[in-house]
Amino acid sequence: MTEKLIEKLNAKVPSALKDHSEFRGDTTLFINAEHVRDVASFLKDDEDTQYDLLVDIYGTDRLKLGQSSPRFAVNYELYSISKNKFVRLIVDLVDPARNGNGGSGKFGEPLPKVASVTDIWPTANWLERETYDLMGIEFENHPWLQRIMMPDNWVGHPLRKDYPLGGEPVYFEKDRNNPRFAHLGKQIMAGPSFETELPEEMDTDGHMVLNLGPHHPATHGVLRLATELDGEKVVRVTPELGYLHSGFEKTGENKRYEKFIPYCDRMDYVSPMNNNLAYVMAVEKLMDVEIPEHVQYVRVILCELQRIASHMIWLGTHAMDVGGTPHAAPLYCFMMRERILDIFEMVCGARMTTSYFSVGGLRWPLPGAFMDAVRAFLKEFSGYYHDYHVMLTKNPLWLSRLKGIGILKAEEAIALGITGPLLRAAGVPLDLRKVRPYCVYDQLDFEVPTSTEADSYARYTVRMEELQQSMRIIEQAMNQIKPGPYRTADRKVALPPRHEISTSMESLIHHFKLVTEGYRPPEGQVYFIGENPKGWLGFGLISDGTANPYRLRVRGPSFVNLQATNTMARGGFISDLITIIGSIDIVLGEVDR
Amino acid sequence: MDQQLLVDIIVQIIIIGAVASGLMAAFGAMTVVERRVLGKFTMRYGPNRVGPFGTLQIVADGLKMFFKEEVIPSHVDRLVYLMAPGVSLVPALLAAGVVPIAAQPLVLPFEVFGSTITIYPWMADINVGVLYILAVGSLGTYGVVLGGWSSNNKYSLLGGLRTSAQMLSYELPMGVALLSVLLIVGSMRMTDIVNFQASYLGGYLWFIFIQPIAFLIFFICGLAEAGRSPFDLPETENELIAGFATEYGGMKFGLFFAAEYIHMIVLSFITATIFLGGWLGPFSQQIPVLGIVYLLIKVAFVLFLIIWVRVSIPRVRFDKLMKFCWKFLLPLSIANAAVTALVLAILFF
Repeated sequence: MTEKLIEKLNAKVPSALKDHSEFRGDTTLFINAEHVRDVASFLKDDEDTQYDLLVDIYGTDRLKLGQSSPRFAVNYELYSISKNKFVRLIVDLVDPARNGNGGSGKFGEPLPKVASVTDIWPTANWLERETYDLMGIEFENHPWLQRIMMPDNWVGHPLRKDYPLGGEPVYFEKDRNNPRFAHLGKQIMAGPSFETELPEEMDTDGHMVLNLGPHHPATHGVLRLATELDGEKVVRVTPELGYLHSGFEKTGENKRYEKFIPYCDRMDYVSPMNNNLAYVMAVEKLMDVEIPEHVQYVRVILCELQRIASHMIWLGTHAMDVGGTPHAAPLYCFMMRERILDIFEMVCGARMTTSYFSVGGLRWPLPGAFMDAVRAFLKEFSGYYHDYHVMLTKNPLWLSRLKGIGILKAEEAIALGITGPLLRAAGVPLDLRKVRPYCVYDQLDFEVPTSTEADSYARYTVRMEELQQSMRIIEQAMNQIKPGPYRTADRKVALPPRHEISTSMESLIHHFKLVTEGYRPPEGQVYFIGENPKGWLGFGLISDGTANPYRLRVRGPSFVNLQATNTMARGGFISDLITIIGSIDIVLGEVDR
Repeated sequence: MDQQLLVDIIVQIIIIGAVASGLMAAFGAMTVVERRVLGKFTMRYGPNRVGPFGTLQIVADGLKMFFKEEVIPSHVDRLVYLMAPGVSLVPALLAAGVVPIAAQPLVLPFEVFGSTITIYPWMADINVGVLYILAVGSLGTYGVVLGGWSSNNKYSLLGGLRTSAQMLSYELPMGVALLSVLLIVGSMRMTDIVNFQASYLGGYLWFIFIQPIAFLIFFICGLAEAGRSPFDLPETENELIAGFATEYGGMKFGLFFAAEYIHMIVLSFITATIFLGGWLGPFSQQIPVLGIVYLLIKVAFVLFLIIWVRVSIPRVRFDKLMKFCWKFLLPLSIANAAVTALVLAILFF
């Protein structure tokens, strides 16, 4: 397949392909910067490839990689829905700053440039803005290349390897005239958020621009929606992000692989188990570790429980957004989530920030009462599940608020890189658990619920059906699970059991090495995607052979899905906008990361 | 001046004061009751820490409201901004003026300063009672609209706009629904309406049985007029933060809050009087005190219904709300009134 692709690519766009490689099943094509648009259109449109879903764009700064290749590169992760294939493009950029002082993107300094692919995959819009903001790569002909995470007047691009790390003085208003802080300019305190630029096409004279958020009951966190209103009709919505940006990627690059796991919990904080799983499996993919079957089953059970808990938060808050705060549904949902959190507490002591999965297995074995607790939960939950249906599914007011609201057709959704229940509600049965099964999902019988309506109600029914499927998966996994080791026997990855340490010299050495140094994955680049409750959570890892990841990339499903707000909300009412935000199901911790 | 008249006026003023403070107290009680009932509906406890069963929560909340700092944002239209909560509260209180709570006035068996003291179970038994309720009810709109406009805030503006459209629209079907009752009774006097219900079937010919459609329309419109869920679009905390009240804090917000609850309580009284037979019930003719108990039970039932609706029904979208009013409720109420008139014409021609 790869040979055929390369052959065809060479015929179509000669001299574009520099090199290609295979690592852990990931195909990588190295492309010259000047041909990126040609290659992109070829890969998207050619009938043999059809890479119609742009999963991710992220930059790499190779400053400390010790390679002779150009300093900056842009990675494009592509997926073909019809062919079920992934491919990665790596575009080396000609770096204008390389010969200078290599500074951290100060004002006026030329940035490395690459052509934008926004018109080929519209989802590239935000992904390119993020790359520009954090890595300082300019995308030519991008419709609105603004900072997306950092404040508009920020100096420098934090993900660059020469960006100063820590030790920076905290700057307060009173320090404005202090010469010690002169180098910071007006970085932190100067700009109140309303100075943030609005897109040019916004008609601020003829229409009212309403700032929904960053503090608003229905934005589920600190999301600001600059909404252009004609009466109560929404003309255009421009989401503003970054209020909760905490630099997870930068943090991850300065931690050992294992130590990033607790950070995953805090991204999509209503589904930490799924986050952990995706990250842990990305590292396992990089290191090629075999995981015992028992662990796989436990991971599936916990992740499906987490999916139910996450959907409970979604259903509760969605019902609250649509129905008003005193509505009964939210607490009925939170009640059931509470039961799941109790199970998690029993498993690992934490309720929300579980960090239970570790590379190579689980952090410690399951408690004995786990199976009974899950069985009891399933029994109780199926009763409540019925209640949710009674409360909402056929309620005429609920229907009138959701039916036909926020339509996102399949082709629009794919173009915008939407994944998860939103895409399935548009009729595309794309579920990684089914099409590229990981863990033991291929041994479990479940369906991928879809709908063709593509409106908020379709998303509601799809998620409700997913709850049912999750219950099915858990039940099957509980019947199939067999006792076994709770972590891999590979001593290079997982700690040896306690009793071995006192008898075996080798185990003692492994233990010492793992605890003091951590493990060192081989050099290489992998990308792993997990099917989270909200969509695809992608982790990109570039290893330089040390104990820290050289580059850690997180693709949050909420971040990409949120980009569809404008498409879905324009032409509707403010009330519909609230419904739509609820039905996208975002968590701001993951949007801003 | 005639001494008897003077005493009557004094007694009447005392009654008015008692009713007004009674309504304010009922508002306080209602906030706690509502929170407790909502709590039960949503598997929570509700406020249960202050005093026995949380009853003293009223005092705590009231004190909190009074001691809050008076913040007046710099960008508001001061006069209108300060006036709006009062304009909102007073009509809500006024509407209680024509609601009778018993059939007969109570004449005290002793004389004071040589004058008999008659305690009327109403403040005014005017012959246009229903009209008065409708008129005063629509005045309440002003408070909300003025508050929304004077706040100079986009959320308040949207809330105020929604209010004016919503409340004006819902008055129409409400009036027409009452019309079908008035056609049968032939009087707008509130006591006449109750006495009519008392005079047939041994006092059980309540209008909810004769005019169930009118009752439903009146109840729905009442919810919309009082700005209660699912028609609380002036507030819609999930869309407009707090709608017209976004810029209000402390006791100024408290007055808006009071207006909403008193509106709701008076609405329940009116519903109970017109459609649920007022003070009628077993033995209420023989023992008049029972009548007041029956009335309060009916009022409590209607209030419970309002809370029940709030907790179990999602909010309506604004345009659908207007469509529902103009395309469904209004034609239905007119048809109901027409059928009533036709039936009456056939029966009594």
